[in-house]
Amino acid sequence: MRTQARLGALVPLGIGALAALAAVSMGLGSPADPGPGLWPLIVSLTMVTLSASLLLNPGTDTEQEPFSRQTTVVVLGALSLVAYTLLIERVGFEVMTVLLLVLWMRGFGRDSWRLSLAVALAACAASYLLFIVALGVSLPHLVAF
Amino acid sequence: MDFLAPALDGFGVVFEPQNLLYCLIGVTLGMLVGVLPGLGPAATIAILLPVTYTLEPASAIILLAGIFYGAQYGGTVTSVLLRLPGEASTVVTAIDGYEMARTGRAGSALGIAAIGSFIGGTVGIVALTVAAPLVAGWALAFGPPEYAALALLGILMISTLSTGSLRRSLLAGSIGLLLATVGRDPLLGSARYTFGSDQLADGLDFVILAMGLFGIGEILHSLERLRQGAPPKPRVGRARPSRAEFLQSRWAIARGTVVGFFLGILPGGGATMSSMVAYTVEKRSSRTPERFGKGAIEGVAGPEAANNTAATSSFIPLLTLGIPANATMAVMFGALLLAGVTPGPQMIDEHPEVFWGVIDSMYIGNLFLIILSMPLIGLFVRVLRVRASVLAPLTVLITMIGVYTIRSSMFDMLAVVVLGVVGYLMKKVGLPPGPLVLAFVLGNLLETDFRRSMRMFDGDVTGFLGRPISATLLAFVVVFTVAVPLLSLRKKLRQPGPPDTPATVPHPDTTTTPERTPDHPRTAAEPGGHNEEPQHPG
Amino acid sequence: MFQAQLRRGRHFAGAAVCAAALFTLTSCGGVQGGGGSGEDAENYPTKTVEWTAPSDPGGSTDLISRAAAKALEDPLGQSVVVENKPGANGAVGGKEVLGREPDGYSLVMLFQSLMSIGPHTVVDDDPIEMSDMDVISGLTVEDYVLVVPAKSDIETLDDLLAKKSVKYGTTGAGTGSELAQALLFGDAGVKAGGIPFDGGAPTVTALLGSQVDVGAVHVAEAAPHLKSEKLRPLAVFAKERIDFLPDVPTAVESGHDVVVDQRRWVAGPAGLPDNVVPELRAALKKAFKDPEYGKFLENNYIGRWEASPDAVVKQVETAKVRYGELIDKFDLDLKTEG
Repeated sequence: MRTQARLGALVPLGIGALAALAAVSMGLGSPADPGPGLWPLIVSLTMVTLSASLLLNPGTDTEQEPFSRQTTVVVLGALSLVAYTLLIERVGFEVMTVLLLVLWMRGFGRDSWRLSLAVALAACAASYLLFIVALGVSLPHLVAF
Repeated sequence: MDFLAPALDGFGVVFEPQNLLYCLIGVTLGMLVGVLPGLGPAATIAILLPVTYTLEPASAIILLAGIFYGAQYGGTVTSVLLRLPGEASTVVTAIDGYEMARTGRAGSALGIAAIGSFIGGTVGIVALTVAAPLVAGWALAFGPPEYAALALLGILMISTLSTGSLRRSLLAGSIGLLLATVGRDPLLGSARYTFGSDQLADGLDFVILAMGLFGIGEILHSLERLRQGAPPKPRVGRARPSRAEFLQSRWAIARGTVVGFFLGILPGGGATMSSMVAYTVEKRSSRTPERFGKGAIEGVAGPEAANNTAATSSFIPLLTLGIPANATMAVMFGALLLAGVTPGPQMIDEHPEVFWGVIDSMYIGNLFLIILSMPLIGLFVRVLRVRASVLAPLTVLITMIGVYTIRSSMFDMLAVVVLGVVGYLMKKVGLPPGPLVLAFVLGNLLETDFRRSMRMFDGDVTGFLGRPISATLLAFVVVFTVAVPLLSLRKKLRQPGPPDTPATVPHPDTTTTPERTPDHPRTAAEPGGHNEEPQHPG
Repeated sequence: MFQAQLRRGRHFAGAAVCAAALFTLTSCGGVQGGGGSGEDAENYPTKTVEWTAPSDPGGSTDLISRAAAKALEDPLGQSVVVENKPGANGAVGGKEVLGREPDGYSLVMLFQSLMSIGPHTVVDDDPIEMSDMDVISGLTVEDYVLVVPAKSDIETLDDLLAKKSVKYGTTGAGTGSELAQALLFGDAGVKAGGIPFDGGAPTVTALLGSQVDVGAVHVAEAAPHLKSEKLRPLAVFAKERIDFLPDVPTAVESGHDVVVDQRRWVAGPAGLPDNVVPELRAALKKAFKDPEYGKFLENNYIGRWEASPDAVVKQVETAKVRYGELIDKFDLDLKTEG
């Protein structure tokens, strides 16, 4: 837990330090005309200070949750959303929506095939009617009227 | 009472059957799109613009205005039930509202939000009717120095939103401030942290940030638990707030209304600021501030009354000065122009039927909304009965499509997933997303207006003190940063145990003991849950 | 746990097979929406035309797009749908549409500030070039007016330029509002500091509240406040006096050779089929005569600039060179590196 809390402070520390370096190169300007880099510099230094303080003394609060084997499901879940986005233009919204829902319900949620398919098809049809037919959103889709 | 005569004539316009119908359609549509994450009122109004070409200008604006304030009602629903705030002004509601939903009080949260919205909205319209031209000048008194001071005050208020470690809230806030700087420099146009991407040139969209960190982050987090067998569903509880709950929130609603009215008039960020200020006011004035963040009903009632009143009063600058106060008002402005009506100082004389028609329609619209929403709440809370394995993918689907509707961009969809992963990781390491997204909104305002101010003052910082409003606001800042910590320090010395970390019972480890752990370990460990309400009969 | 994993594996395999089957089933069908697909060009138009306004809804770019698209539907015989794709002063939407298939079903409104001022003020490694597009027709021209709050003691342009130091509000970095005022004060040798706001409405708000001494906005944005005498016009940045403000001198008349306006046109990706541009031009010509469209322009003080494609390209290139010369002449530093 402690390690994880430290890790949670280390990442913002690193990002803050890099952002501060980049901010200096943006130009800090003068009091009469503060440059583009001044505010990012202030903010990233604040970030570095707070992260450093948390790194040295993570405190007693217990808001962290440990990672577990189940975390792989989260990774798969996120990857499925990336795939959904990337393939929607190629395959169309209908197919990807059904696939996504079936994957999440059958694969992640262990619902029955029947329920998964039924919900997936119904949700696909409902969102098609709502977004594409009623609201005219230009999602790439297969079925046209 | 002469000046009221045209206002009463306005009701004649509203009570024409077709206008009543447009008002009803508008608020119903607004409520629906408010519930859909991503699809905001601005986008809906833009989509519906072609439909309004054929309508009378008054009918068109009644319809579109209905969508706007109807969406404010609907936006609360996803914040409370799914922790998915669709707008900056409902982020605060998600804090206590979602906690209430997790403890079976979703109906109370939504009910008090609807009642608060109705009261706030109606009082706002009355004030708008009698005082619109008088208070319009208030918007003009706010120049860059005033906005900078207000934003600074707001950013400091973020510290009150923290429920756990203050340092972690502040760290999350500073990450939000840094994210706000991504994009073109607002004054000079040079690129900052965009890595050469055009998509990032205008920075991150608030809605994408909020839906990623809150919505997708929460769902990814729930995926872990899906695997451990069906988690116990939260109790649904009653469908409307009890009398005791209403009495407990009545002053929160009153204070929220006042805060919302005045901050709503200010163009840019008024509604967001008003919900934050209302929350801070409630937490600071409460005798039991430790309940906040764990399902305090005042933490929902105050901000909701505030953001709805702000939505109403944001019509003031549009109708009287011709200044759109936010993105939705800008679209409304365009709709009026296309209908041949120029919003501005002449509108009240040139098109009284439109001016009073839209104002009076809001009385009726608010009435429609409260009548519609009370029974709908019973329906909405049933969403919580849907099993998690079905609800999660459906929410994710609506969120993904909702993101796409913002500007038809695949990049945004990828961004929301990346931010979702970030939100999940933040949850793992204990960084709260609320301070991050609010700091994100206010950070832009603070930086841009601070730099504008410095240009106005030729680099002389004391210029801020030479202006009455900014000087007053800065005085509040001093009170906040010096006096309040001193007070809480005294409290700390008096009572054992830091008030910062009231969760003295260590959280059960969810993975090692899944079968014995209730779905929401934190609420189970809380002493300050809903059973505390009867202590405050009002 | 082991068994659970086995079971999980089977679910994933099942989903994958299902995916593969669906993929093969559908990969031959065309995906609608987003970009257009190749239809036969001879019968153009056979389906809905998408007109992209590369801005948020509500602004001039959006409103003129909507007014023109609405008028275009009848003569074209197809619906014309306006879609907003904001970002980077129009560069995001512009690049995206100009990168699509040139089939005549994806059009975009573009404007002079992006093409003529942008190159001098914004660092962009991959800017839109006129050669990336087939211009269909010019649409409109909007003029800028220099205004002061009514309470101000500045009555004329000479009063303003006699001031020792001036704080002027602009509608943003890289806009005509910024360029026009920077050139004016540069030419007059006045020490002036620009305060960029986020578009026309916030600039007008700042002017009404006397937050800045002076500012330049589109005529339409100032008009209601000029009528109610909350703002006072000092000059227009047009070549000649404009109809709506016949008593307001041009900057040129006052001896400052500053002419800045905003011109808009509609274009498609370069390489449109031969018959598409004439078809669209003919339909647009009819659309321009639409009385409602005319009324919209008139109500909002928007001038007509229904120029031919060649004239549009020429105007843009000339303006770009001229603005570059002026910026060099007054040694203005509007360009900022990232």
